[in-house]
Formats: sequence, structure tokens, C-alpha cells
Amino acid sequence: MLTYNLKIALKSLRRNPVLTALLIGAIALGICVSTSFVTLRHLYTQDFLPGKSDEVFYVQLDTWGAERPFNEDRPELLPDLMTYRDARNLMQSKIPVRQSPMYITQYFVHPDPKMARPFQANVRLATSDFFEMFRLPFRYGGPWTKAADAKPEAVAVIDHETNEKVFGGENSVGKTIRLEERYFRVVGVLAPFRPALRVWELNRNPTGPPEPVYIPFNFTQPLEVPLAGNASSWKQETLDTYEQFLNSEMVWLQYWVELPDEASQRAYKEWLDHYARDQKKLGRFPRPVVRTSLSTIPQIIERNKFIPESVTTMSIVSLLFLVVCSVNLIGILLGKFLARVPEVSVRRALGASRAQIFWQHVVECELIGVAGGALGILLSLGLLEVLAKFVHSGEALRLDGEMLLVAGFLSLVAGLVAGVYPAWRVCSVPPAMQLKVQ
Amino acid sequence: MNIGPIVRAMNQNRTRVLLIVLEIALTLAIVTNCVNVIIAERERINRPSGFDDANLLFVRTRPFSPEFRESATIDVTSDADRRSIASIPGVKAVANTNFMLWEGGGSSGGWKPVDGGQRQVTQQYYATTDIAQTLGLRMLEGRTFREGDHGVGTQPDPANIAIVSKTVADAFFPNGGAIGKAITRASDSGETVGDPVTIVGVYETFFNPYGYNPDTWRGVADRGIFMPARVGNYRTGLRYLIRTEPGTMTSVMAEVEKRMIANHAGRVVEFEPTPEKKARWFSSARLTVGVMSGLIIALVFVTGLGILGITALSVSERTKQIGTRRALGATRADILKHFLMENWLVTTAGLLLGVIGAYALNVYLVSHVSDVKMQWQLVAGGMVLLWINGLLSTIPPALRAANVPPSIATRSV
Repeated sequence: MLTYNLKIALKSLRRNPVLTALLIGAIALGICVSTSFVTLRHLYTQDFLPGKSDEVFYVQLDTWGAERPFNEDRPELLPDLMTYRDARNLMQSKIPVRQSPMYITQYFVHPDPKMARPFQANVRLATSDFFEMFRLPFRYGGPWTKAADAKPEAVAVIDHETNEKVFGGENSVGKTIRLEERYFRVVGVLAPFRPALRVWELNRNPTGPPEPVYIPFNFTQPLEVPLAGNASSWKQETLDTYEQFLNSEMVWLQYWVELPDEASQRAYKEWLDHYARDQKKLGRFPRPVVRTSLSTIPQIIERNKFIPESVTTMSIVSLLFLVVCSVNLIGILLGKFLARVPEVSVRRALGASRAQIFWQHVVECELIGVAGGALGILLSLGLLEVLAKFVHSGEALRLDGEMLLVAGFLSLVAGLVAGVYPAWRVCSVPPAMQLKVQ
Repeated sequence: MNIGPIVRAMNQNRTRVLLIVLEIALTLAIVTNCVNVIIAERERINRPSGFDDANLLFVRTRPFSPEFRESATIDVTSDADRRSIASIPGVKAVANTNFMLWEGGGSSGGWKPVDGGQRQVTQQYYATTDIAQTLGLRMLEGRTFREGDHGVGTQPDPANIAIVSKTVADAFFPNGGAIGKAITRASDSGETVGDPVTIVGVYETFFNPYGYNPDTWRGVADRGIFMPARVGNYRTGLRYLIRTEPGTMTSVMAEVEKRMIANHAGRVVEFEPTPEKKARWFSSARLTVGVMSGLIIALVFVTGLGILGITALSVSERTKQIGTRRALGATRADILKHFLMENWLVTTAGLLLGVIGAYALNVYLVSHVSDVKMQWQLVAGGMVLLWINGLLSTIPPALRAANVPPSIATRSV
């Protein structure tokens, strides 16, 4: 039956190729535009850590001054970063399965002078847990050990590009890389990797590329690692030495924990609240109410309004555009089908049931929808190429399986929405009526 | 012209009429909102910064030689660099500064008038004497910096004069007369920090986007204070802004790098032409403008085709009736007028519904996304556009209808 319907549908579509091309073209345009913008938006709303986005938490403590909240316009917000003292204390907790304080510094990488001139690179200081917590992909080697964290050992993880620049792309695990005046042993090389958002860096330029070099967090104090990022404070303190900076109320660190189940999440929150109250007893945390918070990545994205307004506007408008294309299609199909009424009534008189007529026409509409959808997906590949040039993280802008499903679904719905009413109208033609007129 | 028969004819085809009405209404709603967004984005892109953005070149040098840990090296190199850059053909002016424009950030702080008044936050930068000429600031009152204003070293001796934007002068001294008045840094709680700084000059415009979240930093973007000093240290290196003659930026870049490395080789030199930085900053705005314009064209086109298609079908369906009317004495002009009038009525109904849709979509967008209010002129303009569009797409099928010969009425099929 379906093949028969398809045959009839094809025949009918071929009868008026210009009209058919117009119908397919309009749907293709609608699908192309809406798929592209839904994909663009999806870039920011996708699940960045599939399977554990509700297990990785950003830790915040309200260490701010008594007089005013951290953000006066949005007093519900806690300081976005943490003090060094608190980060060190938090590292004592055994509850999280993985945890890492982190920040960025800028170091000069000195390649072999024969290979390249020195260049400056962002270096992230973190614990070995960082790599597994955020699932950074390795090409060679892997994260450093817990022992390297504790000591700390002079080890480093570098990204694919740095490996190209410094070691010509070979497996450099075990070789040394010079950062400023010091040599670090490479333990891991990352695979090429460019997420739409660096989810672990949601405070500052989250759409930037992942850092090229990583070294153990515990080098902070011995190497007096300078911070390349924001540090802010509510307190007037003398900050002449690095020691004074570390012991100050300056907030400048991010702190992430991985808590796999509800029990550990509850236990950690209690532990955190307890810690904050203890600190208040010691005379810190001067705000009237002691507050701590654990937020997931989607919560932070929502709170910090990362999705560009324009992207949301464009997705809404492009979906409306698809609606217009569908309405357009309904109108034209209605005319086309009604012009066929004499033919239909003959078929009805010869015994075709209403359902048969109805399905035959729906199949015809779906054919248009699917053809338009396929063409639209092809077109959207082109449009996405263009869009990618304008978006920070253009490399990540791809039509993935999920988005292809969305596009397919949209085109089926468009075909159905456009086809059902005209098909119903044409199938309710009484059989004898037309014969009489003729 | 008698509307009665037209309305009755339309009544025979309610669904089709309703569909066109709906399509036109949606089109008007979308087109007006798109234009609204385009206008807002274009305003943002074209807002004057007060600087000669097209000809500014930003140079960042990053030292790796430990010699740069000595502030003397920084001072000497800053002076040598500026001297050797200034003599390159095509260079209008150069300044050593920590002002990096179009990066969405910078340095800011709270200030207040010495004689009392409210603390306000403004952007604040240090720069050597030629900063006003380099940026192309238009001075309104007072003077720019003079040789010797920036003292001997890098920042050890705190600058005590400043040139400020009109916005800053107005914020601190609403009654005018900012020249000669003193302001000081103020802590969060309003306490005075550091020495007073005397305003010696006021310039017209300053605009440098500040902060990823513009809400938090409203008002900081268009305020700027410049104080005279050489700026740089081992970590940040020395940074320069160079104003070039139009069209010479590329040749200047090559020469600058050569001379800087000749002055001191223990560093890396990087260039960032301001036009590129500005384009990057506005890339998403430009994308929005492009996409919205494309959508408007596609939408008007699709709607036009829709009207054309539906009218064409309704003409071919009514061929017999048209022939009958012609046989009964209707002229071609009557038939043409019938279809144009019919279409005009449908379009107008769609547009009236569309006005409601335009405002409704705008209200939705304002509450959920942007904050650009709909302007009535736009809605009016959109209506005119769609009226013309409707008319143009009705003419071909209407002409075909007018050409139906009266004899067709006598044929059986």
C-alpha cells in the first residue's frame, strides 16, 4: 500500500515540477535556517559532561566583607572565586571522589632554539583529578600521579598544539619542557580538543580554547606562581609579598569537586557548611549569614547568562520562519489538492475509501517534507560553515547526530502539519457529486 | 467598486483566505522584530569610540630576558622604543600605555572629588605623553600631557594629573569647571586612597566595552581617565598603541618589529590591529545583522511566492466563473480590480493581525532575551513593504485572470 501511495505521490509531484520545486525549496529553506540556529544554540546548551553533569560541582564560599555583598546588583550571588587559604583547607576533605583547585598563570615556554623562538602560554595549575573530572582526551600518556601532586614533582601535561610546536608532534612523554627557568617532565599529551565552552573556566572567557600546559597545583607556593586572571577582595590588606597574597582574603581560585551520588553530595554540603561556621568562629567570613554553595555546570551557565542573546533571538525567529514556510505550504497544497477533486471523486466512486485517499495525500506531503528536509540539511551544512566563522568556538559547530534527528523531526512535522488539513479536505469529497457535475 | 461580491467570493474559500492572513501576519511580526534587532545591533557597531580605531595598531611585547625584571630596563626600553617607532614613516604618534581597547575589559576603579561627592567607577589607564594624539582624542577643554609629565620611572612616582572624558567630568562636577579640580581614588566604602589627582584636560568621547556582563558594568564603558606614566613590568611587558597614516599599517608593523628587537632582543613582539580586534568584538553582532537581513529577504520572498501560488490556483479554479462574468459584460479591468481588491483585503487583514503579532513577539523577546522596544515607525514601514509585496505578487495571476476570454463560459469543462 505504501509503495502504491509513493508511486502515486511521485507521479503527482512530477506532473507540476515547478510547483513541486517551489514547495520543496520553501521547506528546505525553513529547515536549513531553523536547524542551523538550533544547532548554534545547542552549542551552549549541550550536555558538556555526558552522564555526570549533575555530579561535578563548583564550590563557592561567601568570604566577602560585612558591609556589602559580593555583587550589589545581584546580592544572591556568592564570590565567584575562592581564597587560597580556603582552597587548601577544602583539599583536606575526603568526601569528593575527585577535586581540584585551579587557576591560570602565563609562562614562557622555551623550545629548543633550533625549533622555535620562546613563546608565552597559559598554564593551568590543577591536581591530577582535573583531567578525569572534565574528561580531557589524551593522545599520549595520561595525568600525573597523586604522588606527583603531593610532592609536587616537576611534571606537565601539554596539549596537541604545544607538542607540535615544541616536539614536532612526536610522542614526547618522558621528555622535558622548559617553562621559564625550570624543566618539567611531560607525562601526557592531549588529543586535539576544542569544546564550545571550557566548562572548568566559567568565570572568564569561557569560550576560549583549553589551556596549552598543565602543572601540579602544589607548585603555587614554592614557585610563587603569579596569577594571570582576576583577583578581588573586600579587605584592605598589605600585599607586598607572595606569602601575604596567599594568606589574604583575595579571591582568585576556582574549586571543583566530583560527588557521584546524593549521599556524598549531602555529606559534602554539610561538611562545607560546618567548615564555614568554624571559620566564622575564627573571625573570618564576616557576612551576617554564612553561605556556601555547590553548583552544577548547567546552573552556572544559566546564572552567568552565557548563551548570547542574539543566538536565542535567532533560534526563535528561525523557528517562526519554518512556521511561515509550513503555512505557505498548506495554502499551496490545498489549492493543488482541490484542483484534483474530480479525479478523487472518480476514485471514490470506484471504491477507494476515505482513508486511502487521505493517506495517499499525506504521503505526498511527507514526500515533500522529507525531500525539503534532506535539501535543508545539505543547505544548513553550508550555512553552518558561514556561522562558524563568526562564533568564537567555531570548530565545535557541527551537525551532530542529535541535531540531525532534530532536523529530520522538524521536516516530518512540517510536512505533516502542512499536509493533514488539505488531505482531509480532499478525502471528504463525496463520490457522486463530481460525477454529476461532469 | 462593490466589495460585496468580493467578500462573498472570499467566504467560499475561507480556509485559503485565513492561511494567507496568517502567513502575512507572521511575516509582519517576524520582519519588524528582525529589523528592530538589526537597528539595535547596527547602533552598537557604529557607536563612536572617540578613537581613530581604523588606524590604531596595538603592540604587545613580552619579555623573557631577566633584564626586564629591572625597572631601569623597562624605562630605558620604553623611551627607546617610542623614539624609534615615532620616526618610522607612516607613524603619526605612539604611546606606551596599559590601555588595550576593544578587549571587553581593562582597568577600572572608584574615584571621587576631593571636595566631597559621590564615589563613581571609571576606567583608568596610564600612558605616556602622546596618548591624546595617538588615540585621536578631541579635546574640549584644557591641555593634553606634556613632555616631563610622566616623571622618571614606571609608576614609582604617582601621577598627579589626569585628562578625563566629558562623561567623567560631568559625573564628578555636574556644574562644570572640572579643569583644575582634584579627584582621588576611593575605596569601596568611600575612603580616600592615595594622592589627589588634578584634572588638566577634558576630551569629548570615550567608549571601550567593559566586562563580559554589561549589566554589572553599565556606565563604566564610556568613562575614561588617563594619567601620565610609562607602564610595564616583567610580567606584562611593554605595550604600545601606534596611530598610523591610513593604509600604512602593514608596512609599519614589519618595521616596528625590526626596531624593537634591535632595541632589546630578549622579548617577543605581537601585533593586534585595532580594526581586527573591533571586528572580532562585534563578530556576533555582525552575524546577527547578516542573518536577520537574509531572513527578511527569504521571508518576504516566500510569502510573495505563497500569495502568488494561492492566487494563481484560485484563478485557475475560477476560470469558468470569470468567463461567465466577462460574458455578462464585466471588463478586463473589472476582473483585474476584483483580484487586486480581494488580495488587498486579505493582506490588510493579515497586516492588522500582524501588528498585534509584532508587538506580542517583541514583548516576548524583551522579557526573555534582549531589551529592544518595538518602534511604531518600523511596524508602519513593514506594513507598507508587505502591501507592496502583496500587490506585486497578485499582479501576474490577476493579469492572467483578466485575459480569460468570455467564450470560456460556454465550454462544458
